[in-house]
This record gives sequence, structure tokens and C-alpha cells, in this order.
Amino acid sequence: MRTPHRRLPWSVAGLGLAVALMASACGSTPESPGSGGSGAAAAAEQEAGPLRISAIPDMDPSDLAEREEAMSSYLAEELGVEVEYVPVSDYAASVSLFATGDLDLVFYGGLTGVQARLRTEGAEVLAQRDIDEQFRSVFIAHRDAGLEPVEDVAGLAELADTRFTFGSESSTSGRLMPSYFLDQAGVDPAADLDGEPGFSGSHDLTIDLVESGSYEVGALNEQVWRSRTEAGTVDTETVREIFTTPEYADYHWIGSPALDERLGDGFTEDLRQALLDLDGSDAEETALLEAYGAGAIIPAEASDHERIEEIGRTLGLIR
Amino acid sequence: MWAAAWVLVLVWSVGSWLAEDGPLVNTRGWPMFVDFFAAALTPDLSAVFLARIAEATLTTLSFAVLGTLLAVAVGLVVGVLISETWWTDGSPSRGQAVVHRATRPTARRAGWLVTRLGLALPRGIHEAVWALLLLSVLGRDPLVGVLAIAIPFGAITAKVYAEIIDESARGPFEALRASGVRRGTALLYAVAPVALPDLASYAFYRFECAVRSAVILGMVGAGGLGFELVLSFSGSRHGEVWTLIFTMVLLGAVVDRWGSGLRRAGGRWRTGGTVLITAVLAIAALVHLAPDLSRVFTARTAGLFAGLVADLLPPALPDGGWSRLLEDSLETLQMSLVAGTIAGLAAVGVAFVAARSGGAGVGPARRLAGTAARWLLLFTRSLPPPVWALLALFLFLPGPLPGALALAAYNFGILGRLCAEVVENLDRRSHDHLIAAGSPPLSAFAYGIVPQAGGRFLSYGLYRWEVAMRETVVVGVVGAGGLGRLLEDQRVAFDYGGMSGTILALVVLSAVVDLISTAVRRSLR
Repeated sequence: MRTPHRRLPWSVAGLGLAVALMASACGSTPESPGSGGSGAAAAAEQEAGPLRISAIPDMDPSDLAEREEAMSSYLAEELGVEVEYVPVSDYAASVSLFATGDLDLVFYGGLTGVQARLRTEGAEVLAQRDIDEQFRSVFIAHRDAGLEPVEDVAGLAELADTRFTFGSESSTSGRLMPSYFLDQAGVDPAADLDGEPGFSGSHDLTIDLVESGSYEVGALNEQVWRSRTEAGTVDTETVREIFTTPEYADYHWIGSPALDERLGDGFTEDLRQALLDLDGSDAEETALLEAYGAGAIIPAEASDHERIEEIGRTLGLIR
Repeated sequence: MWAAAWVLVLVWSVGSWLAEDGPLVNTRGWPMFVDFFAAALTPDLSAVFLARIAEATLTTLSFAVLGTLLAVAVGLVVGVLISETWWTDGSPSRGQAVVHRATRPTARRAGWLVTRLGLALPRGIHEAVWALLLLSVLGRDPLVGVLAIAIPFGAITAKVYAEIIDESARGPFEALRASGVRRGTALLYAVAPVALPDLASYAFYRFECAVRSAVILGMVGAGGLGFELVLSFSGSRHGEVWTLIFTMVLLGAVVDRWGSGLRRAGGRWRTGGTVLITAVLAIAALVHLAPDLSRVFTARTAGLFAGLVADLLPPALPDGGWSRLLEDSLETLQMSLVAGTIAGLAAVGVAFVAARSGGAGVGPARRLAGTAARWLLLFTRSLPPPVWALLALFLFLPGPLPGALALAAYNFGILGRLCAEVVENLDRRSHDHLIAAGSPPLSAFAYGIVPQAGGRFLSYGLYRWEVAMRETVVVGVVGAGGLGRLLEDQRVAFDYGGMSGTILALVVLSAVVDLISTAVRRSLR
């Protein structure tokens, strides 16, 4: 059954080898350092491993990584456990990974936090920043769109028939709440804009796309807008703020239901306390709070986000 | 007839986009477009960033290597099984009952159709969607990335392998069958020697695709170059973006060179070398990714899987009902058709320039043009569609047009390369004989090249059209609409029932395109 051809079909040969390798690798994986000691007992639950923290990718990723690494070292010191920051580049993927038990502590936005809790039975709301109780979005417009700043939500009616972009699809401040306020002003984002609304992917890209004129109007996280304008990385001659929305509850930390089991009884409470203890009592803590744009970390409860859940259900973002 | 239908739909699509009131061109974005390309001159070459890129490259490469190996294995086995050649009836053996003879062709035809349609499901789902589905079961396991490539690529490879087998040496195969040779043996002797260069060439092309897919998977969370690209792009650090683009172009060039070197030399040690390198890469990939297979076979994973299946079933209609689904399907078809057409026409034009032509009679200008064309193709296919979409937005206002153009740019690079390979693998003898017999170059080309190359071009073009349709999923950022947009809406809302409905719609479109493509090719054969 040999081919008359002299050449060995590389794909077949390479494949045979790889399959053999895979088979042998299966046997050797448990010893390799990469697999973190799991698998040896073939138990469903992993042994006490590092505390894996994460955050939704809502800002410049290197700033985000820097902030979360700082949080990692703070928590490691405070709790005496190994802490690993797991960067995730997509909001919905972060929710899925929390549900599969791959993330232990995540700093979610209002909407993603609710989604994560609905998909993960027993997940606990741990804390929030002081600014999250009264968070806001801003609407920005390109100068040439000819839009005037407006006083109240009803004024957003002037955005009908404009080319409009949101941020990420799952963003609370860049999608959910702007969508809600537009709706309040009688503008249905699906029907009343000029074409379909865009989804830039992040607050920073929303600014860039409005600045370039690709979209006339965009909505984003107030905090990002303020820091970009203060840093001078946006041309405020071209793009200007036309409206700051009323307040709503946004970001919060959520802990995995498996925390106590994996890291010891009472760990969830210790973690909550460690977050609340972040009060700026030394230089490291002050810098960390500043990175989060917060004055303090305060208690939070699941009920804080009932309104977000309700709006999410109305807009079809929560099922 | 097909050509007329194609032109009609094309005119209608473009016409309806252009007819919409309001401007299409975004003149204000042009300076930013220029800025972005200006940053190409100042890529970020700091040691820290380069070290990060090296690690990311290894990750991307690992996903690509393992994914491709699995896909090619699937492709070889399934490809044979779904080829028309395999299912064509051999000559009736002596002593076969008359009734039996009458039913067999129908049974074979059904067998071919069923296996073919069965592949439409895995193939109709984009890698990124596979990754997101697998992610909710396997979590952070690197197997997510490997399987997300292997499943749809296995199906695509199977389809293309089946087509290559059908295009190759049907005559000899049928002759062998007619003389009573068994199917497998006939395939091995008649088809394998002829098809092998194309099969190997496609495997390599698939690997190159897998590298790009691994980049896209990185963008949805698998890690590697795509992940870095998202980080740099969303931080508007264009210097870093360009370093990443150059890395991807370089990676593509290395793989490309490897593949064409293998095909040209064809010597034993080269093949041996490739097997060795493949093995080394596979080991490196396994060590680097360290997929945790122990996790796959746990009660927890089984529970998550059962949960996902329960969520996905039954498939549901989107919020707008049937009309929304049909409207979006139509838009997806339009976008993909326009993208495929632009990409196809441009690719065929460039392919003859880009093809490496041997022989001493090639002038330096021709060589230079060839090199330039190859780098252009490499560059256009090295930027993933989402990046092209963002660039298209600098030039055009949001809508299906920039979406189609983004897909066209990317597919132009891929099709151009495929067509160039077809040109390189052509049997030039009839062309050269015509020239030697005093035929003018144009008619030598028309009679010596076109009949051979035309079928392959069309086959690749039709197949790319289908791929472009699925890729509408990843250009959502341009607000282009279509099923991609719908699927993304449903994904972020965790509306799994709706997602499976939309996925089914995409699968049906894939199957329709597949059937059209088979019909078109049959009408030409």
C-alpha cells in the first residue's frame, strides 16, 4: 500500500509525529510546571492556587495592566497569597471565564457585573469605588456636526439622524446607559440614527472615531473623557462635550463562589476586608486609589445594581 | 446564466449602497489615516516590547501549528470521503444484481450530499465564534484556541481537498475504476501523485491562514499577537501596532518561503527537513501552551458543556423575527459578494505578476514587479479584517461599504497568493508549444493558460466568497450590519438561543454558497 511516489507526503508524516507527540505529552503534562499542579489527583476542583484577578478591558490596556498589577501586589501583601493578574481583552469573554471558574476576583462594570452574577450562582459583590455610586457618561460631538450642548436628557433628541458610536457592546457607561438616556429622549438607537450605531470597542477609540469624523457623536465613560482632556491627548477644538448624563451605579468587584473552598474558609470575607482597607494610609495605597480614580473603596451590595439589571433587561442585554 | 445572476446581484448591492442619501467618503478622517501609515516609519523597537512580542509570536504560532496539524488530519480523511470522485460509481462488477445496480448511484449521491452538508455546520461557524463557544466550556485552557482553529479549518480543508481531488486526474481515476481497481487504490495511484503538490500547497496556505486566525483568536482572548494588537490599537499606540504588523508580515513571509521552497525543491531532504521542523514546532507548541487535558475530562467540564448545549437549544429567532433574520442574511450576502468580487478580480490581475516564473528570459523589471506584488499580497493578508475595518473607517463613513472593502483587502491578499500558486504550478507545456509554433502571446495565454487556471481561480474565488461571508462576523466595528452584527449583539447579551439561530442562518448561507459553487464549477467542467 505504498504510493509509487518517492516523496513522503509531509502532512501525513508530520501529522503522525504530532499525534504521537500529543499522546506522549498527555502523559507528561502533569509534571510540567505550566499545569500548576492540577491533574495529578484528577480532581474536578483545583488545589489552592493563586488568586486570579482581572478587570474588564475598558481603558488603555497598558494603564489597566499597570493598575491591576499594583492591585495584585497589594492583595498579595495583605492576604499572604500568590496573586496573578489575568488580562482579558473582551467584556463577554471575561463574564464567561468568571463563570467557568477561571477568574476569582473581577472588577466589572455595572452590566457585566450583573451578567456575571446571573451566570455564576453564588458569586458575591465585594466592594465598589466611592465614585461608582454616582457614575456618569458623557456625549461628545464633532465640531462639524453642528450640535449644541444640551441641558437635560430630553435635549438628546437632537441626536436623531446623526452618525453615532457607542464604545464596547457590553459597556455600562459606553453603551447601556447612553442607550437608555437616548431612549428617554425619544431616540431609538436601532432606528432613529443615521445608519446603525457603531461599536468602537473602547472609550479611547470612541474619542478617536469622533475626532476623525467617522462618527459625528459618541458616548463614553466620563472618567476616561476627563483624563484624556486633562492629559491633552484629545483635540478639544474638534471634539467637544455636549452632555453629561445623570448618575447611576457602575463598577464593582465580584468574588468567585469557589474562593473559600480553594483558598480557605473565610477567604471571601478577608478579601472584601482587604479591598475596603484600601484607604490611602501609605504611599502605595494612595497611588493605587489614584490609579482607580477613586477616593476610597466602599461597601457594595447586589441590590445597588437592580436598576442596571432592569435597564439591561429592557434593552435586551440581559436575558 | 451564473455570470448574469452574479452581475445583477452585484449591481443591485453596490447600487443600493450608493443610492442611500448622504455622503460615503469620510474626508475628515484622511489625516488620521496618513498619521497611521506615517507611524510605520517609527515602529516601537524597545527591548521590553520586543521581548513581549517574541513571547506573543510563540503563542500565536503554537495555536497555528497544533490547529493546522489537527485540521490537515481531518481534511485528508474527510476530504476523500466527500469528493465526488470517491462517490462516483465504478464499473459494475460481474454478477451484480440488476436491482442493486439501479439503486447504488442514488445511494452514493445521497452519501456524498449528506457528508458534504454535514461539514457545512463546523465550516459555517467562524473561528472566533468557535472560540467563544469553547471558552464557556473549557475556560482558559489553551485547547480553546487549538480546537477553535482545528474544527472549522478541518472542515474547510476537507472541502478544498475534495475539490482538488475532483479537479485532478478524473480521467485516469475513472479508467482505473473501469478496469476494476478498488476505489482506494485508484485514488492513490491516479489522483494522489497529481494532487499532492496542490494538497501540500494548500496545507501550507492553511497554516498561514491559521497564523492569521490565531491572531484573530488572540483578539477575542486567546493571547498572542492578536491580544497585543488589541492592546496597542485600543491604546492608540500606532508605533506598537506597526511593530506587530511587521512581525505578522515577517511571520507570513517565513511560512510562505518555507512552503514555496518545499514545493520547488521537492527533494527528499527538504521534505525530511519540513517534517523535522513541523515536529520541533509541535513539541515547542505543546511545551509552551501546556494544554491541560486533564481538565477536559472532568464532571465540571461535562456540566458546563451540557449547560451550553441546553442554552443553545432550541435555536431562537432574533428580536426582529424572520424579517430581521432575512434582512441581515441578505446584507451579509451582499457584503460578501462585493468583497469577494473586488478581491477576486484584483487577485487574478496581480497573480500573474506575483507568480515566481523560472527561466533565464525574465528581465529585472519583471522580477522587481513580481517581488513588489508578492509583498503587497503578503502585507494585505497580514492585517486581520478587524484592523482593515478600522482603517477603512478613516476613509469611508460607516456602512456596508467599508465592511466590504475591509474584507476585500484582506481576501485580495489571500486570493492573490492562491492564484499565484496556481500559476506557478501550471503545466506550461501547451503554452510554450503554442509560442514555439508562432502563436501570438495573447492567444497562447488564452488557449494554453486560461483553460487550466480558470477552473482553479474560480474554485478558490467561490470558496473565498464563502469565507468572506463568515468573516462579516469580525468586521462588526464598522457598523456594517448583517448577521455578524446580529451575532455580536446576541453574544454580548448571552442570548445563546438567538446565537444558535443566527449561526444556523450562517450555516445555511454557507451551504447555499457551497451548492452554487459546485453547480458553477460543474457547468464549466
